[in-house]
Amino acid sequence: MRRIISVSLLLAAVLIVVPGILTLVGGGYWFRVMTTIGVFSILTMSANLITGTTGLMSLGHAGFYGIGAYATALLSTKFGWPFYLTLPVSGAITAAFGILLALPTMRLIGIYFAVATLGLGEIIHVTLLNWVDFTRGPMGISAIPGVTLPGVFTASDTTHYYAVAITALIAAFVLGRLTHSYYGNALRAVREDDQCAASMGLNVVGLKIQSFAFACFFAGVAGGLWAHTTGYISPGDFRFSESILILAMMVVGGLGSLPGAVLGAVILLGLPEFLRPIGDYRMIVVGAVMFFSILFLPRGLLGETPVLTVVRRQFGLAWDAKSNLGWRQ
Amino acid sequence: MFDIFFVQQLVNGLSIGLIYALVAIGFTLIFGVLNVVNFAHGEIYMIGSFAGLMAITTFAPPLFVVILIALAAGALAGFGLERLAFRPFRRFRDEASLKSKAIREATLLSSLAVSIIVREIAEKIFGSNMQSIPQDYLLLKPIQIGSLSFADGQFLIFGLSIVMLGGLQWLLKRTRIGLSIRAVANNPMGAAYVGINTERTIIATFVIGSTLGAIAGLIVGLYQGAIFPAMGFVPGVKAFVAMVMGGLSSIGGAVVCALILGMAEAITTSFFAQGWGDLVAYLFLVITLIFFPTGLFGGGRERV
Repeated sequence: MRRIISVSLLLAAVLIVVPGILTLVGGGYWFRVMTTIGVFSILTMSANLITGTTGLMSLGHAGFYGIGAYATALLSTKFGWPFYLTLPVSGAITAAFGILLALPTMRLIGIYFAVATLGLGEIIHVTLLNWVDFTRGPMGISAIPGVTLPGVFTASDTTHYYAVAITALIAAFVLGRLTHSYYGNALRAVREDDQCAASMGLNVVGLKIQSFAFACFFAGVAGGLWAHTTGYISPGDFRFSESILILAMMVVGGLGSLPGAVLGAVILLGLPEFLRPIGDYRMIVVGAVMFFSILFLPRGLLGETPVLTVVRRQFGLAWDAKSNLGWRQ
Repeated sequence: MFDIFFVQQLVNGLSIGLIYALVAIGFTLIFGVLNVVNFAHGEIYMIGSFAGLMAITTFAPPLFVVILIALAAGALAGFGLERLAFRPFRRFRDEASLKSKAIREATLLSSLAVSIIVREIAEKIFGSNMQSIPQDYLLLKPIQIGSLSFADGQFLIFGLSIVMLGGLQWLLKRTRIGLSIRAVANNPMGAAYVGINTERTIIATFVIGSTLGAIAGLIVGLYQGAIFPAMGFVPGVKAFVAMVMGGLSSIGGAVVCALILGMAEAITTSFFAQGWGDLVAYLFLVITLIFFPTGLFGGGRERV
């Protein structure tokens, strides 16, 4: 029952309250800010599956985001595909690229994996920048159609907000089910000690590749949404600094926590908007927030609940006089 | 095949490779001692060239003095970086936590955060465009030898990097501080037990590595005529690649791989468009990690 209430509160907040407030404060610009926050929430939640849950630090997530954005942009400008086809297809394309590029790096752990993903992200960026025949290079791709369904709704800031919000909710649901399950526990076991997990009979490489594929799928969908909602993409949107931004969001929100990922995106993209009157200090704020949160909140704002707490809560019920569980009854 | 143009490209690649080597040594020293990656090394490189540039624009000293100023700025920046981004995370002194995954990732992220802050502050102060450098200081006077043409900056790069590499070898092998650096790199606890001041040694390592990086930054800035706040990123990543290829804690390996990288890039840009040159380093990185996970010159590390 509590679950139903909290889910419906969340749905009401995202789908009714936030757009209502945005309309009251003037719409337009603030809808676009919220759309960006939504796209980055999806990205951060997906990166969280690799970095937070499976424990592989990825420094190349922006590259996969870029693959998704270019797939969507090319599919919709060259073939005129509508958004409900481009988004899943570009997600699938990105997941395929992710598996292909990640297969050789899966044997690496720790800092070596981080460096290899940094290299992969930069390879993708350089390719997008220099393969002029296919990606139009530094000029980027413009005039990408927005999220529109003829006869039902047309592309506008509000439509884009709803498209991003609903996708983010779906992503949160899927990733939440994925991590709060035996499957998620297996991923956490890989994070804590991969040799130990392998000796317990888990297919460590398989799990790593699967989590990478899931994360890349959602990164691709986020890229597709970015392409549709902004209408113009260029390789400059998918650089190393975007990967760092995603990492900073995860660190601030708390590694391994889905609400933390969303909170990190809201803080790191929302704070600079409120600081705009005193100048454009966006990246300084990002750096400072990241530095101080590592220093003072090493677990992040909403760090993943430690397993021990969950165990205590579940088993503690047996000693709780009010509950009808256990041998007290 | 071996026409003049090709040889010319090789020489250019060698001078770029030497620069990567100077930057990579700083990385490798710090990794060897602390077992952590210093992502702010590229910003030290930038600080070195900006310090030199400011000295040039304010009182136009001879080049030798400019290099000394960059050296001092690099030493100061290295000291500050260690205090700010690395010291607060060395709360525990036992070996397990000194080499633990958590401290490695925390310092990786904190140095990344510091590098973002430093770069953005530099952009706020100087603007993100390239700075104008007085003509007299540009190291681009052509020198003709046979049918090859060199810039005088290339000779400076050759001379200075050989002097610095030699000096570093002397420092590590022949002096007391070098001995303690090697001791701490080998075993921090053991070094502390025999009375080596590990804190001071770590600071010395940062100062030495950062001076090398700062001088590399200054010379490249004057040689390529490009000094701007984001200039540290690309050489930083390339030097990092050289370090990983060389096996993370092998200085000789890092130098050799930096030279290979510089020449491979020069050769690539002579066959393909300029932009694809950057791809070489990353391809090298991924290929090395796949086929030689411990690096080309890496010793027997347990696992990667």
